[in-house]
Amino acid sequence: MARSLWTGSISFGLVNVPVALYSAVRDLDVHFRQLHEKDGAPIDTRRFCSQEDKEVPFEAIGHGYDLDDAEQVVLTDNDLAAAAPRKTRTIDIEGFVDVDEVDPIYFDHPYFLAPVGEAEGNLRAYKLLVKVMESTDRAALGRFVMRTKEYLVLVRVRDGVLSLTTMRFHDEVRPTKDVDTGGRKPAKAQIDAAVALVEALAADWDPSRYTDYYRERLLEVIERKRKGKRIRAPKSSDAGGPPPDIMAALKESLERARSGQGFDRDGEGDDGSDAGDGLTDLSRDELYERAQKEDVPGRSSMSRDELIEALSG
Amino acid sequence: MARSIWNGTIAFGLMTVPVKLHTATESKTVHFHEVHLDDGARIEHRRFCSKEDKEVPYKQVVKGYEVADDEYVVLDKEEVAAAAGDGAHRIDVEHFVDAADIDPVFFDKTYWLGAGDDGGGPYRLLHDALEKTGRAGIGRFTFHDREYLTAVRARDGVLVLHTLRFADELVPASDIDIAAPSRGPGDREVKMAAQLIDTLHEKFKADKYEDEYRAAVLDVVKRKAKGEEIVVADEPESDDAPDLMATLKASLDGAKKGRR
Repeated sequence: MARSLWTGSISFGLVNVPVALYSAVRDLDVHFRQLHEKDGAPIDTRRFCSQEDKEVPFEAIGHGYDLDDAEQVVLTDNDLAAAAPRKTRTIDIEGFVDVDEVDPIYFDHPYFLAPVGEAEGNLRAYKLLVKVMESTDRAALGRFVMRTKEYLVLVRVRDGVLSLTTMRFHDEVRPTKDVDTGGRKPAKAQIDAAVALVEALAADWDPSRYTDYYRERLLEVIERKRKGKRIRAPKSSDAGGPPPDIMAALKESLERARSGQGFDRDGEGDDGSDAGDGLTDLSRDELYERAQKEDVPGRSSMSRDELIEALSG
Repeated sequence: MARSIWNGTIAFGLMTVPVKLHTATESKTVHFHEVHLDDGARIEHRRFCSKEDKEVPYKQVVKGYEVADDEYVVLDKEEVAAAAGDGAHRIDVEHFVDAADIDPVFFDKTYWLGAGDDGGGPYRLLHDALEKTGRAGIGRFTFHDREYLTAVRARDGVLVLHTLRFADELVPASDIDIAAPSRGPGDREVKMAAQLIDTLHEKFKADKYEDEYRAAVLDVVKRKAKGEEIVVADEPESDDAPDLMATLKASLDGAKKGRR
């Protein structure tokens, strides 16, 4: 099990359960390092005083805040500690809410909470929280402090484990008044056709079917470069505008969706030259997936058209 | 009109919806810049070559991926861009899923979608169809040379785009060791805890919760600007609660009193 990021207790009424916090997300991003082009040596970042032109040790650095009148206030770590709320090692539950009332826009980072230690009373109190929140499908709203910052958090049960998510505050969500939300309400026949098309393209949510192609392609690009190959970026294709006849597009889509035909979104290449393999009906991602299976060399840098060509060869 | 950060098209079937992407969230965390405590001057981050011990201008800095100890593969901008896909400004909806089925842990960032040029009609249509069906369109989206998995759904008259985490980025709950108590909580305890939850139950209202820490930090800034000395208060240690039943009872009594 990974190292815990925080230990404290979750306090529910007067019940206090000692818990440890673990990230529920692992960083699988491909990380780069800054290197000096000339000799390939890693770059170090050093902190310099802009006035004295001298390197400054970490202890001699404070936190500057600009006031309106071009003046600044400098706070030390100690000053900032004064802003941290008193109970720094407790997740205080303020209330319970229904999970589906909380819009996903508020969710930030997910974590797990596990009980600390083997004490029977603590383990039972943890289990009690899990059991009762699971049966009521409710989540606890609370606050806690980690690394001097206070977070609003939602604690709920996921697969038998307490799951904590840090949340954005309401004023961190921007208003939508400036967003153009389109024209008048569409005609009923259009809505019905659009609803039918959405349902025809419906599937169950299954997160395991989505692969991070970007990560895979980036690692592939790195591997090819390591072998001394040249890499070029694929040509960009045009996004296109709205369909000239919405109703006709909906009807045609529905027909194709129901008969299991694909959609050639580029509106080209449907001349029958590669009829039979249906490659032109696939999106670039779908083509890429096939290219991966067939181990087509250089697939990561191919455009959709190039992938079709390579696959039909 | 708010500036858009990306313009493109959402495609489902043969339907195309021109859209504009807008930022939906902004961090209000109080930000400081680093200053030298001795003279209050700004701190600058300077890049140094670790081998030559000499400052390196930004132009001479490249991106390297460590493939083995101290062995880096250097990629230039175009090579990184090659991994992003074809860069088409288009989100192809692969399918529509029940929006309520997506566990909140998958949601990462959120953006507002506005109607693009000549896209008012199709925009409304997609919004209304998603609202009616409660579904979200799942597709991929390339932004700043990176491809994301996204969910597009209707929210109070506006289409929103969420970037989603991939399943392998999530730690499975089974990775978390949880020792089981030798005796589980009894029915009476569960019943009483459920009562306590009911007593503390409320409707979720996001604007009920203010960022008190942000306010406290700004308060310290204000006091310090006036020349006040900032003192950190001592904090009392919290004690453990050994008797679960008695504690639940006391909590419930307290909660009920509080609501009267």
